Amino acid sequence: MFGPFRLTSPLSGGLLWKIPWRMSRPQKARQRARLRHVDKVVSIVDQALAKKGTTTAAVERWKAEMPVEQEMLPRDKYTIFDRKEKKYRKGIHKLPKWTRVSQRLNPPGY
Amino acid sequence: MSYFRITLLRSAIGLPQKTRGVLKALGLRKRMATVYLPVSQDAAGQIMKVKELVDVAEVEQPVTKELAKAARRPDPGFYVEQKASTPVLS
Repeated sequence: MFGPFRLTSPLSGGLLWKIPWRMSRPQKARQRARLRHVDKVVSIVDQALAKKGTTTAAVERWKAEMPVEQEMLPRDKYTIFDRKEKKYRKGIHKLPKWTRVSQRLNPPGY
Repeated sequence: MSYFRITLLRSAIGLPQKTRGVLKALGLRKRMATVYLPVSQDAAGQIMKVKELVDVAEVEQPVTKELAKAARRPDPGFYVEQKASTPVLS
């Protein structure tokens, strides 16, 4: 009846996933806020190191490769590439742990 | 000498063991825990590993646990004029 392995409709066979196919507007707003927060953390670390006249590979690589939130296209903010999907895109909220991982780049052309 | 003030905002439950290991190495065991580390490349690399989970600020001096707690303590709303044990000098 209770517990992690209880019989629920998604578990008792058949494909029934209750994740909506698109994100809501507040979900998107929070996603943007999280992206900006990561940008802020990286810039603070970068400035602190620059004051000491040093830098580090992880920060340099991030700055070279990753776009900041304002530079990203909406399709990259809210969707990710998936080769199994129609039109090769699915909502980023389908990515496991999506609020705690950085997923900004997608294959070029998709 | 400046320091990184690192606060754990998001827990690492369900994240890879490597990420959890970085948090352990930083000394962040539960949410809203704060540590101060001198600004260095080592600390920067560790922060970059967990940048989605933490809040970072650069501060001049680390704040000790006691001072942080004293700052949170609300104003008691009274003050002691004189302690009963001290005799009044006439």
